[in-house]
Amino acid sequence: MIVLVEDDAALRVLIARALLESGYEVRPCKGAPEMWQALEQQNAELVLLDIMLPGTSGIDLCRRIRQQSDVPIIFISAKGSEVDRIVGLELGADDYLAKPFSTRELIARVRAVLRRWEAGRGASTAMLGLYRFDGWVADVRRRELRSASDAIVDLTAAEFDLLVVLLDHAQRVIARERLIELSRTRLGDVSDRSIDVMISRLRRKLASADEPAPILTIRGIGYMLSTPVERE
Amino acid sequence: MTGVRLPRLGLVGRLVAILLATMVIEFAVSTVLYERASQYLVRDDEARRLAEHLVIARRLVAEATPDRRVGMAAELTTDRYLVKWSREMPKLPADERNSDRVQDQVVRWEPTLAHNKPQIVLVMPSGVIVGALQLPDSSWLSFRTLGPIRAAKVPYQRILSTLIPVLALMLMGGLLIRQTVQPLQALTHAVERVGRKTPGDSSSVPAAGADEVRQLIEAFNSMQSRIARLIDERTRALAAVGHDLRTPLSRLRLRSDVIEDRALREEIGNDIDGMEAMINSLLAFLGGEGDPEAPRRIDLAVLSASVADDASDHGHDVSYTGPAHLDVVLRPSSFRRAVNNLVDNAVRYGERVTISLTREADEVVLTVEDDGPGIPPDAIARVCEPFVRLDTARGRDTSGFGLGLSIVAQAVAAEGGRLHLANRPEGGLSAQIALPAALQ
Repeated sequence: MIVLVEDDAALRVLIARALLESGYEVRPCKGAPEMWQALEQQNAELVLLDIMLPGTSGIDLCRRIRQQSDVPIIFISAKGSEVDRIVGLELGADDYLAKPFSTRELIARVRAVLRRWEAGRGASTAMLGLYRFDGWVADVRRRELRSASDAIVDLTAAEFDLLVVLLDHAQRVIARERLIELSRTRLGDVSDRSIDVMISRLRRKLASADEPAPILTIRGIGYMLSTPVERE
Repeated sequence: MTGVRLPRLGLVGRLVAILLATMVIEFAVSTVLYERASQYLVRDDEARRLAEHLVIARRLVAEATPDRRVGMAAELTTDRYLVKWSREMPKLPADERNSDRVQDQVVRWEPTLAHNKPQIVLVMPSGVIVGALQLPDSSWLSFRTLGPIRAAKVPYQRILSTLIPVLALMLMGGLLIRQTVQPLQALTHAVERVGRKTPGDSSSVPAAGADEVRQLIEAFNSMQSRIARLIDERTRALAAVGHDLRTPLSRLRLRSDVIEDRALREEIGNDIDGMEAMINSLLAFLGGEGDPEAPRRIDLAVLSASVADDASDHGHDVSYTGPAHLDVVLRPSSFRRAVNNLVDNAVRYGERVTISLTREADEVVLTVEDDGPGIPPDAIARVCEPFVRLDTARGRDTSGFGLGLSIVAQAVAAEGGRLHLANRPEGGLSAQIALPAALQ
């Protein structure tokens, strides 16, 4: 069940309806007290939290939820500020949705976070943290790739997700179809063609003057990240 | 003010000129008065010598027998004074209304001369003293000096000696005036910076100097803070409206998503995109997205390539040429927005767009070139001003408020760089961002 915290009544109804239509159970709350009640009474799978609630700061609320539970949190904000986004993600929110968003965007994010969380429960231990490879650092929490010189390397959300999939399967071959499927869990639609395009862009961004990017094409099968990865 | 065109003088210059004028007038007036006063006087020692000579001549001539008096007078004539004896009163030059003075001067030395009905005249301009004394037997002794006995010293020397203190006073006065006016110059610099300063630069001027200047500075400082507060309030109000509009816009978008008619849904979606772009550009321009971004090290080459990729994904012909990696320190999202805005502009007017990045000796230069119509040369300076849109006819189609290039200019200025727009000789616009190499 998804706990939705949104103070704007009309928007609350619209979001709840969109989620219901996509098959999710929703518990709409108009403020923090109702949210705590909902979190106590039911087993929440996800909290959709508007960061600009009257009276309380969503950031503060996010920190307090994290203290007692590791339920995934997606926060919604009317501020497009990068600072807000990073603060929210560092406080343990799993994703961020900027107003105004479309139904498709909302459902894609919810689905991606839920799948990632379910996957994380099982196998991957590196849900939130750092990957280090070849001097590069992929910071999952801030969704940032940094070079050996500690410069931020601009990746699109899809490229970052693709990189994380490759990092999770380091030194193993991943079939193209599997890659498409895994990427799709993270973000909306990824077509066959765009996987190849994204791989080539990632390669270009990860290549240095003297060394090509450590992403190998395994002809007829798929791709492989050829370098060892450390996780933190 | 007077109709006289004054030469352009600063406040210090003017005050010094006033001081100079007062001193010159004072000097001139006192000199004239002094000259006047001394014009009809002779040097005291001259007067004394004359008086002594006259006393001796009086006695000797009076004691001599009348037939010997002419000879005696001749004997008393020296190379300095001519002495004559006569029975009749000699004709003296007309009184020049000053005779009393020289006469008094002479008589002061030998008061007994007063009994002889002395008539002593200084003849100007020759400077010769002419006079006569009546002897006890009513005959007359007349005399004149052979050379001019004019009032004392050479005036240049006196003028010079008076001028030196005047000049010293001028210098001192000038320095003091400069000192007094100094705070006004600080104020001028602050006034010049109003509206041009970068955020965080306080133009408050330390209050100093004379009371009036101090009051002026304090008035300026409080005006400054009032203006800043006013602008800040407006900005925050506008930013708050921007943020608040995003909630109804979210509702609208979610509502439009359930519209069955696909064409209608897409049209409404485009309208919402347009509104969203407007709000984003307004908030970017006002800096209303909350905390200012901190500078970070980023790979500008990858960022430029990403912007090109993104534009290509949206069906535009945008390519990147330049190094694969180039690190600079700047505010990542505001700079990314700047590059994005330049590319948005370029693809709106041109077909083929290139982003190029070069590293030069002391600069990192990012250039966005298109093959569109360019900008009319007379409008180039204007396009970076906020809310200016050149394509009024197409204004409806474009997103934002005409803030695109203003946002670029702001973001570039925040990094200490320069934005240069120019029409390319081969057609199209070239927008160049030059960043100081110190950012590397």
